[in-house]
Amino acid sequence: MYSYGMTLPGFGGIFTRMYMERYGLTEEELSLVAVKDHENGSKNPWSHVETTCTIEGICNSPDAKVVNNMVADPLRMYHMCPVSDGAATVILCAQDSPKMKYFKKKEPVLLSGIGSATDTHCVHKRKDPLELTAVRLSAERAYKMAGLKPEDISFAELHDAFIILELAISEEVGFFKKGKAREAIVKGITHIDGSLPINTSGGLKAKGHPLGATGVSQIYELVKQLRGEAEKGRQVKNPKHALSVNFGGFGNNVVTTICSKE
Amino acid sequence: MDIDFSQYEPFKPVVYAVKCPKCGSLDYPAPMICKNCGERRDPSGVIFSAWEKVPLEGKCKLLGWTKLYALPEGIEKKYLLFGVVEFKNGLRAIGRLLVEEPKTGMELVSTAGLVREIPGEDVAGFIFDIPG
Repeated sequence: MYSYGMTLPGFGGIFTRMYMERYGLTEEELSLVAVKDHENGSKNPWSHVETTCTIEGICNSPDAKVVNNMVADPLRMYHMCPVSDGAATVILCAQDSPKMKYFKKKEPVLLSGIGSATDTHCVHKRKDPLELTAVRLSAERAYKMAGLKPEDISFAELHDAFIILELAISEEVGFFKKGKAREAIVKGITHIDGSLPINTSGGLKAKGHPLGATGVSQIYELVKQLRGEAEKGRQVKNPKHALSVNFGGFGNNVVTTICSKE
Repeated sequence: MDIDFSQYEPFKPVVYAVKCPKCGSLDYPAPMICKNCGERRDPSGVIFSAWEKVPLEGKCKLLGWTKLYALPEGIEKKYLLFGVVEFKNGLRAIGRLLVEEPKTGMELVSTAGLVREIPGEDVAGFIFDIPG
């Protein structure tokens, strides 16, 4: 498709238009996700983009079309992640291993559930092009392994390479009904002080998308938040269980991870 | 002596769907395993049967579209339009859209043609346009 001229942002553009037309999402409501992510990212010292943005600046001002130029209609520059460079590491150790004695300095976090699933690379070939089946299946597997339900999750890190995906993934993992993630962002439910904060690190949108390191950096954020070590202004209150979704392509290879406070 | 001039005919691109020989279901792009009955496809026809190819073209409906401004390196255009369409037989495809002001749900006609000319590597694909 690339030699055709079609790119991943192109798929994102088609997906976003279909979502907007089916569920009535407006450009301003979509941009609220970017505003939230930049707000969280500005408080994260590891963030690629540490600036905040406003709806006025990226949607309504006379300069908005220049500042926030069109990339893949209806997706604008502030609706997609930067291409970042970075690295992240986690140390895994079996709970009953004698080597656990080496990890006493910091409170360990339990990897309570993990699930993966795949889907066809051809977005148009999916039963419903707006369905991210691999996200739903991988989340179901992770919930089953952890013995948890969507309502048990305190906060989440979702793969928002295009911010429409934050809304679509949050519906697929069971946080909201189909088409209702829009209301959640408008009401502030997914804000840092809301009942279900999403992308507390700034997400791929602001923290950045270092491709191979993205998934591990999401786990890093879950661990940091569950330990209560996040910076002032972006620490989730009393988190118990956290979920991350990372995917490759356009939802063809998905991994959902659930971490819990022991 | 008869001379076969057919080899000198201009290249006319065609995009094919494939038909499962066991259950008859159509699929595009060609899968290695039929999603309906599990029959295996072997393009070489050595281990399993090669499936019948059916040209995919004609009337279709626009399901979604985008106007892409950030194009791959080497494409010297301001933007290109791309759309997802559904054919009468239920198959869907993504291709180049020639309609300047598309509307979701509009009727289109699909043909196959050269969508990009790179020296030594011409790219053929779907082109969607208004009928007539």
